[in-house]
Amino acid sequence: MATDARNAVELKGVSFRRGERFIFNNVDIAIPRGKVTGIMGPSGCGKTTLLRLIGAQLRAESGEIWVDGSNLPSLARTELFDLRKRMGVLFQSGALFTDLSVFENVAFPLRVHTQLPDDMIRDIVLLKLQAVGLRGAIDLMPDELSGGMKRRVALARAIALDPQILLYDEPFVGQDPIAMGVLVRLIRLLNDALGITSIVVSHDLAETASIADYIYVVGDSQVLGHGTPDELMASDNPRIKQFMQGSPDGPVPFHFPANKLADDLLGGVRG
Amino acid sequence: MAKATTVLDRIALLGRAGLDVLAAMGRSVVFLFLAIAGRASFGNRLQLLMQQLYSVGVLSLAIIVVSGVFIGMVLALQGYSILSDYGSEQAVGQMVALTLLRELGPVVTALLFAGRAGSALTAEIGNMKSTEQLSSLEMIGVDPLKYVIAPRLWAGFISMPLLACIFSVVGIWGGSMVAVEWLGVFEGSFWSNMQNSVDFYDDVLNGVIKSVVFAVVVTWIAVFQGYDCEPTSEGISRATTRTVVHASLAVLGLDFILTALMFGDY
Repeated sequence: MATDARNAVELKGVSFRRGERFIFNNVDIAIPRGKVTGIMGPSGCGKTTLLRLIGAQLRAESGEIWVDGSNLPSLARTELFDLRKRMGVLFQSGALFTDLSVFENVAFPLRVHTQLPDDMIRDIVLLKLQAVGLRGAIDLMPDELSGGMKRRVALARAIALDPQILLYDEPFVGQDPIAMGVLVRLIRLLNDALGITSIVVSHDLAETASIADYIYVVGDSQVLGHGTPDELMASDNPRIKQFMQGSPDGPVPFHFPANKLADDLLGGVRG
Repeated sequence: MAKATTVLDRIALLGRAGLDVLAAMGRSVVFLFLAIAGRASFGNRLQLLMQQLYSVGVLSLAIIVVSGVFIGMVLALQGYSILSDYGSEQAVGQMVALTLLRELGPVVTALLFAGRAGSALTAEIGNMKSTEQLSSLEMIGVDPLKYVIAPRLWAGFISMPLLACIFSVVGIWGGSMVAVEWLGVFEGSFWSNMQNSVDFYDDVLNGVIKSVVFAVVVTWIAVFQGYDCEPTSEGISRATTRTVVHASLAVLGLDFILTALMFGDY
């Protein structure tokens, strides 16, 4: 089954399980090319798992995952690594290489994948760091940076090779209000200026809704709903309504599945 | 996991553990093959290997040299006290050299290497895994098996046989210090007995072969445990322990098999 060329990423009937528990059960998601798409949902619903499926770091139990015209499960290991050169990922922790300086971290993809001379690599790194506001931190080591700064350096590294698809894993967590505002603008700006496809996995409603062109709400191992931010805000679906309004009561449970509290309290010793 | 209550449950658990071990062995073979086979696409492979040779090999020199000297000294002392009962203390040089070249050089080097460099490799790779550095390498389009694992494997394969040679050399020097300088064994017979009895192929080369085998096994176990560990603090600590335990047992077991093959045809 071929994929629609208008979509940069397409998941068709994807299922994924951890042990007995379904994280995704026959899920269809289409990420339009050149747009910012938000993937939202309550904590633990499998948002990061979704990113790892798109990056082929996890293998789906069934279904097709098309990224930029290639079906991931059918790719050989070397083809997969080639495809990944066209993707950038911003990990939740930043995942900087701790033995390399900020400069070397951002220069890393350029050094391993291009034959550019050193002075050109230096110029590119300076520009990428300028974009995330950390040109002054170029000589620091990762352990000298705060969590938010690490994430921004990681973003500079993710865009070093000018990827076609950028995946953001919870980019807004742990950012101060100023950095948050800059980051929100930056994601939008990078998307529009470079013409890339951005996938933002987040549970920060206001920030994601403010930049996303399209949003998928996932939960309960299903896609609960999708649409533009305005459509979702106006949705009648009680599950989406609960999530978009952040209300504690509704069809989406706050608690992880468990026995009744009274049973656990009166049940005596565990085991 | 359900608690084992019946005999059947316990048998099932045993079976599950057996399957887990087999699965891990299978994964480790695929892991070794993917790391070593084929060429990497990035250009600075030699530089990566040099860095690892330094941290795995050069930084292990101190413990190898100091242990080698002491073991050689102890061998000379023990050997002297036994051999002098038979009036053949001139043979102490021969005894020290053969023991070191055939057995203690490769074996003790491998054990020390597992404790010093093997545990460090496991902890380093495990930590890279838990901080998503391996994942981010993958997503940058660089195979961590080629970039992180392969240089460490080759560094271990190359440096351990060299370390074992150094161990034997300084051990013999330590033995000569004790026997000749301290206990007064005649220097001429100490060295000429050694020279007459040590055969290059039977003793030196067999020792080097042993040490190459140990190098492959110990380094393989160390990097695989790091790569395969559960990415938590507890997982890394368990993997580091497993590296030292499994590597030491593998070295001692293999040493018996290799010795039987090399020197067993009496």
